[in-house]
Amino acid sequence: MFATRVLRQAAAHGAERTPMIRFIGKRSVPSQVDHSPQPHPASPTGSLPSGNGNSHTSFSSYRDAAQQHGPLRKSIGNTSAAKLGPVEPPRGMYWDRNELPERFRRSPLTLAEIEAIETGGAAMFG
Amino acid sequence: MLSSRLIPRTAVRSALRSQSSLPTVLSPVSRWRRGYASQAEEKDLVIIGGGVAGYVAAIKAGQEGLKVTCIEKRGMLGGTCLNVGCIPSKSLLNNSHLYHQILHDTKNRGIEVGDVKLNLQAMMKAKDTSVTGLTKGIEFLFKKNGVEYIKGTGAFASEHEVKVALNDGGETSVIGKNILIATGSESTPFPGLEFDEKRVVTSTGALSLEKVPEKMIVIGGGIIGLEMGSVWSRLGAKVTVVEFLDQIGGPGMDNEIAKQTLKLLKKQGMEFKLGTKVVSGDNSGETVKLEVDSAKGGKSETLDADVVLVAIGRRPYTAGLGLENVGLEVDERGRVVIDSEYRTKASHIRCIGDCTFGPMLAHKAEEEAVAAVEYIKKGYGHVNYGVIPSVMYTHPEVAWVGQSEQDLKKDNIPYKIGTFPFSANSRAKTNLDTEGMVKMIADPETDRLLGCHIIGPNAGEMIAEATLALEYGASTEDIARTCHAHPTLAEAFKEAAMATYSKAIHY
Repeated sequence: MFATRVLRQAAAHGAERTPMIRFIGKRSVPSQVDHSPQPHPASPTGSLPSGNGNSHTSFSSYRDAAQQHGPLRKSIGNTSAAKLGPVEPPRGMYWDRNELPERFRRSPLTLAEIEAIETGGAAMFG
Repeated sequence: MLSSRLIPRTAVRSALRSQSSLPTVLSPVSRWRRGYASQAEEKDLVIIGGGVAGYVAAIKAGQEGLKVTCIEKRGMLGGTCLNVGCIPSKSLLNNSHLYHQILHDTKNRGIEVGDVKLNLQAMMKAKDTSVTGLTKGIEFLFKKNGVEYIKGTGAFASEHEVKVALNDGGETSVIGKNILIATGSESTPFPGLEFDEKRVVTSTGALSLEKVPEKMIVIGGGIIGLEMGSVWSRLGAKVTVVEFLDQIGGPGMDNEIAKQTLKLLKKQGMEFKLGTKVVSGDNSGETVKLEVDSAKGGKSETLDADVVLVAIGRRPYTAGLGLENVGLEVDERGRVVIDSEYRTKASHIRCIGDCTFGPMLAHKAEEEAVAAVEYIKKGYGHVNYGVIPSVMYTHPEVAWVGQSEQDLKKDNIPYKIGTFPFSANSRAKTNLDTEGMVKMIADPETDRLLGCHIIGPNAGEMIAEATLALEYGASTEDIARTCHAHPTLAEAFKEAAMATYSKAIHY
């Protein structure tokens, strides 16, 4: 504060008082903000919304509540990867893309798309 | 498990497909569908509720360049605050105070008035005019900031979709990248007394009584009860306040200030039954009867009144919102559980205002609205929950911010106090309005302001200075060395600050 700063500067000796209001400089935008869920300051219990990563005490309890395209199946993660065998297919055998979950498969083309490709896009403007 | 996915190239796949243990993924929208345009425009932000929290968030979002929709079912923006809360009550408080002053406080001011009559209908009309003007003003601000306004009742259909039952009939749905719940609160009912808003009323009914009741009982001596009790007491009702605790004012009000408030309100003609429990109520007779009992046990008595105002608090309002459709949780008091960035467990759904944690105050909701939109747009926001002022608009007004003396005592925090009475303030003297005081609480070593409690004229305006000082971490010396204009009521504020570390000049 200006007045007390003046007083302070004028004080020739000892017990100086530091004003508590001080201009802290130009506004700066934080370059990094921690967005990990923290309890709301006015929450009476300090708990987080359940289902939030931080409220789980173990990975297993997180998996119980986790959602990814619907609830995650616990069975998918309860066997260690080593026990599932090699990732590479044995010699002479192949992965079939159409047996993978739907989201990994090829999307079929519509007739309009086929036509657009075959005409080099000209059909779209015809 | 992987071995089941290992399939010889030549195998009959269809036979194996039926045995596959791969999870099936169900989606409401077929992933095979390829569209060149989306079906409905996705908004950046959909806000459910057009009260103070919702409308402020909508305007802020519009200003930040977000595509925003606000859904409100009342048909008027502004929520409880503008329609049936802060604003209409302030209109009645101001006009009833003028009426009361003209009746009882003019002769010593050298004003002689003739026949003074109350025209309640006109007073209510003045209230409605203020409300309508302000709510229409928000509609204008919506247009100015490009906010889409839908009049209807919104409910979650899915995590990104809100179905709206339109007030004019029909249904629509809005899709939002982010959704903000701002559905507010409602009066907590009293078990055994059903609201009819005529004889057993909430604050909403108490703002629209058709005539001045002869006798009125207010259950609950908090801010709402005392404000509405004051209005009808000034207009001629015999008002009795029944409060369970031994003190009025509700949580946060400093004990010393609460005692002084009680004394002044009693002087104005209001009666108080503190430490008294309402056991039951009966609305079947000509008057409403209440059985009351000492809270600590003891003698019981029957009170009767033409109107009973139930003002025992408010509770979050999320009924019909379909929280269960998206798995959102509320706590044991019905508040939506959120984190420090207002996120529910679905991080794109946030919640602010009365329906979540913190005090149910319009200005707190406004702060949260701005912060929530900033979190969405910029990634950071700010609300200081330790520095939220409270104001009771009785006469004299009572206002406070920060910690009370009893808070500090309870936590064993050292403090020192400076007070200044308005009876020693020149402006209050000239106004012939000298009841009350400013009480400043500071850290004994650094003089840092810890709390400020004011009872007196204009306390609600004056508390802004204390709030600013507290937010900036000022010392009482900083306040006292800041020049305050003379003659103003604010000089009492400065002198109370001075009294914490030195002595007030005029007292």
